[in-house]
Amino acid sequence: MKGLGTLLWLEYRRSRVWSAALVGSLLFWFWGMNQVRAIDLGEELGIRLVLLTMAWLVTAVVLAIMCGRFRGETRQGQYQVLLLSGPSGYIHILARFLYALGTALPFAVACGGLLAWAGRQAGLPLDTGSTLQAILVLPLWGAGVLVAPVLAWVLLLMTFVSAYRISGSGWIPGTVFVFGTGALFGPLLDWMTNISFSLPGWPLFGRLVDVLQNMNLDQEMPNPEWAFLLPQEPLWIMLALTVGMLVLAGRIWEEVEV
Amino acid sequence: MTDRRGWFLDPEAGPIFQQIGDNVRRFLARGDLRPGEKLPSARDLAGELRVNPNTVVHAYSELEGQGVLETRRGLGSFVREDAPVEGMRQDLIRRAASRFAEEAVRLGLSKGEAIAAVKEVLDARAAR
Amino acid sequence: MLARLDNVTKRYRTVEGLRDVSLEFPEGEVAGLLGLNGSGKSTLLKLLAGLLVPTAGRVTVFDGTPRRNRARLVYLGEADSLYGWMDARDAERFMAGLFADFHRDRFRELLQGLDVPPRKAKAMSKGERGRLRLAMTLARDARLYLLDEPLAGIDLLSRERILSSLVREWHKDSTILLSTHEVAEAEGLFDRVLFLREGRVALDARAEALRSEGRSVVATFREVLG
Repeated sequence: MKGLGTLLWLEYRRSRVWSAALVGSLLFWFWGMNQVRAIDLGEELGIRLVLLTMAWLVTAVVLAIMCGRFRGETRQGQYQVLLLSGPSGYIHILARFLYALGTALPFAVACGGLLAWAGRQAGLPLDTGSTLQAILVLPLWGAGVLVAPVLAWVLLLMTFVSAYRISGSGWIPGTVFVFGTGALFGPLLDWMTNISFSLPGWPLFGRLVDVLQNMNLDQEMPNPEWAFLLPQEPLWIMLALTVGMLVLAGRIWEEVEV
Repeated sequence: MTDRRGWFLDPEAGPIFQQIGDNVRRFLARGDLRPGEKLPSARDLAGELRVNPNTVVHAYSELEGQGVLETRRGLGSFVREDAPVEGMRQDLIRRAASRFAEEAVRLGLSKGEAIAAVKEVLDARAAR
Repeated sequence: MLARLDNVTKRYRTVEGLRDVSLEFPEGEVAGLLGLNGSGKSTLLKLLAGLLVPTAGRVTVFDGTPRRNRARLVYLGEADSLYGWMDARDAERFMAGLFADFHRDRFRELLQGLDVPPRKAKAMSKGERGRLRLAMTLARDARLYLLDEPLAGIDLLSRERILSSLVREWHKDSTILLSTHEVAEAEGLFDRVLFLREGRVALDARAEALRSEGRSVVATFREVLG
């Protein structure tokens, strides 16, 4: 793991503006969610959740771009230096991934906080357990199932394109890669859905359900089922895929010509 | 002597190792370098002149073969006490005279005219 | 032999960067790679560095592939490889962490000798950046140095400093391959000169031998490539 520390430092110095912007964007999303005023609490909550989902998606895209910034480096010769540096491709890829993930996790947790806040604003009586689950468990599960594989996929895409440019153009291998993996995504999703809950799911917000059932709920409150199960399988599958993609990206790094 | 400015190297004028040797002889002839004095290390001189250190090493070894330099183990290269400085002076003067004579011949000067020209220049210098 | 190319061809799209080139580089040689733009100098250096792979033929460095032996070679490319936010201290941290043979003390000495200012790269002139990159390069203990136009676009004083430092840091077992357009300035450095034209070696000669015949490298350049 020699050199990993330096590469993480490098990622930090290269990307700290991006990280700061993401943190700043949190404030923006919070402000946005705060502005939402609707006829009833349920609708307010609904809109806020939509905003939160958008925040997630936008952040995921931004992180992916931050992580996959290879193009500028090619022109600037920095990529050449990195390719010829001591650490292997696996360590280079791992450093980029860890930094991006390390930025994503606090963001996810903060979004979890926003989720809990939105729930509270809507009058949902969230107990400590549910709050913690909103802030930690759900975001971490989300990061594992969504963010980690996307980051790994982008890293794999970038190394693939760098290594297999045809006639100097990256479009061809890039398109092949995107469509190829895209075609696999459907079957993957089907399979994950099918085998979900073969293993016991993780119950979330359990206490909340009990509390709600003991209260007299306003009938306009949509979807009072705040107990749901998180399936384990997608998490393990996606984590395994993440590791696989990172290893492949690290291997392809050795093939890159610049 | 490690000052680049005193040196005259012309890539058109033959192998550099030889030119380095010529320069050292010129320094000795003019008294810029004295017998017994230490020369810069090959690497230092090469760095100053921006030439390949091997070239300087080659130059030094030629000068050693000609009895101008000696290497003292661990200390560096030194001008020999018995370096033929007088011979070098004569050589340099003769070459300068030769160049002058050639120019004079090309311009069609007689021997008397040529000598008079030299005298005139030297007198002018003395007068300053 | 420290490095060799055996019948190497490198094709880009339809253009051949190098055509069927075979060369050997022994230890301790300083070789100049001279030629017009597009003659294949950069391609040759990148092939030796392992940044490119030959379309045909084989590149051998230290008895293996260049990439696998990257710890024993140094490549200084034409493209500026400094991050804009980097200053000399960042550069030191970068190099020390990523290259096992980097010497911090030598780096600091070189920074002084090359008069590198303590600013960020984006606030430095091209010459100053070139000097910093050279300090980073020479502070490593490599056996093979591949320098692609280290003097390009750099002011005169920086060029002189760079050449002086190259000479001073050179180790007699190391091989240096340097491509440059500043033929006149670098002429004295070369043991050997390789003239490339359109991807082939037009002339491979010893510099002092050329001068013995009364032709400088510059004059030969004009003759061979003009």
